[in-house]
Amino acid sequence: MKVRDLDHELLPRVTQEDSSRQSAIVALRRLLNRHVRPHNIDHYEREGEPAFVARHGRKPQSPADVETALFASASYRRWSAVNRAVQEIIWLSVGEPIYRDQPRMRAAARRLADAPDRKGALHLDPDVIQPPGMADNDVHLQPGGYTMDRDADDIIAGSLYEAGGNVYSFGQGAGKADSKAGAVQRFLAEHHPDVRPARILEIGCSAGAASAAWAACWPEAEVHAIDVGAGMLRYAHARAEALGVPVIFHQMNGAHLTFPDGSFDLVISHNLLHEIGRGERKAMFREAARVARPGGLVIHQDIALRAQPSLVHAVEKRWDTRFNGEVYWTDYTDDDLVADMRAAGFDDGSLSEHDVPAIQGWGAWYILCGVRR
Amino acid sequence: MSNVDALMDVIASARGARPASLSCPEAEDGMTISIALLVELAVANDRIDRLERMVAELRGMTPEALRETAPTPAEAEERRDANEALIVRVLHILFDPRKRIDGPAERAGAPPA
Repeated sequence: MKVRDLDHELLPRVTQEDSSRQSAIVALRRLLNRHVRPHNIDHYEREGEPAFVARHGRKPQSPADVETALFASASYRRWSAVNRAVQEIIWLSVGEPIYRDQPRMRAAARRLADAPDRKGALHLDPDVIQPPGMADNDVHLQPGGYTMDRDADDIIAGSLYEAGGNVYSFGQGAGKADSKAGAVQRFLAEHHPDVRPARILEIGCSAGAASAAWAACWPEAEVHAIDVGAGMLRYAHARAEALGVPVIFHQMNGAHLTFPDGSFDLVISHNLLHEIGRGERKAMFREAARVARPGGLVIHQDIALRAQPSLVHAVEKRWDTRFNGEVYWTDYTDDDLVADMRAAGFDDGSLSEHDVPAIQGWGAWYILCGVRR
Repeated sequence: MSNVDALMDVIASARGARPASLSCPEAEDGMTISIALLVELAVANDRIDRLERMVAELRGMTPEALRETAPTPAEAEERRDANEALIVRVLHILFDPRKRIDGPAERAGAPPA
């Protein structure tokens, strides 16, 4: 199932002007990412590092030094200012039609969620434990954040996530056919071709695009998906119903799962690792291992950022930490995730790391895979 | 809901601080506004393109032929005047005879620009 280039009832109705605005932002971001950002390392070498040396009498050594040196370059500062401005405009461009179309979208979500022939389910828990850095932070600058929940029909968080995510990803160079779930499904076909899961759990499902894709990939499987955001989950559930795929959504924290031991054949997360802190991630790894059955697979997929050729490249990629609400970006890029999986109960022979190419477009995805003994 | 109300709701829901990239806040705000104008120019160009295609169809010509229809000398002069006026409107600060005084830099002791 496609996850980005599809039409469904929950998407906001956009005017030609809305579409033009979003297309212009995609074009602008593609230009920045392809033709401007790649020169940041040159700016560092030609402007930033010499300025740092002139001021401090030594070369930059620590990540903090490198960041200081980057900002000593006027060219880098200019890129940073433009990149931040464009990131903010993304949300205006998708938020305007979403807020304008709220009455219709909310009614559609309610009708789909309550339909007698609905295929999935939604279980909300207002007492869910919110992970630090999530409820009080606009991740990716999404206005209101991922856990926005203003009333019993609020679907804004999910709406913004899907629409904004598409504009962002296309601007990053993702093709319309790209799919994180598709990349993991291709990985499974290549490395674990005999896997036929009867029960699948997705942790941190956000707006449910991958959850629906998993349900479509294995229609005979029972797919459960969890997230901490009620607004995300209402949207994800209605979206799955609109697409006609059965997914059971739960408001639940991945570090505190309520499922019994060994209850899933496949446990997945998509782009969750860089959104949660070190302690939450280690607890989530333990919980994912606990609910996977012996012989089951645990796969955590994220952005392929961890292997960088130099400290300067690594620090340049950390721009999102300060400027894009990605407060745990560095924890994700720098920590020994294999060691954390080992501590969660996986042995060395069962663990593997991979950078796999995107299904379509530029870039790659990181996959961390463990087989439960 | 109107577009203005929708935009204001989106803007009002944003949380957190805005970390600076440039050392001059005014310059950063100006750059942010310029980026937004760039996007709006693309939106306006798309509207013009749609109109051109409709007019071309009504006139039985291709959009390319319509776009390459040269103005008469009189029309060209009219457009030059209009574009000059547009430039003056946009860049009026460059022609303003008044001298800048009492900016924060000057108040801090720097010589006037």
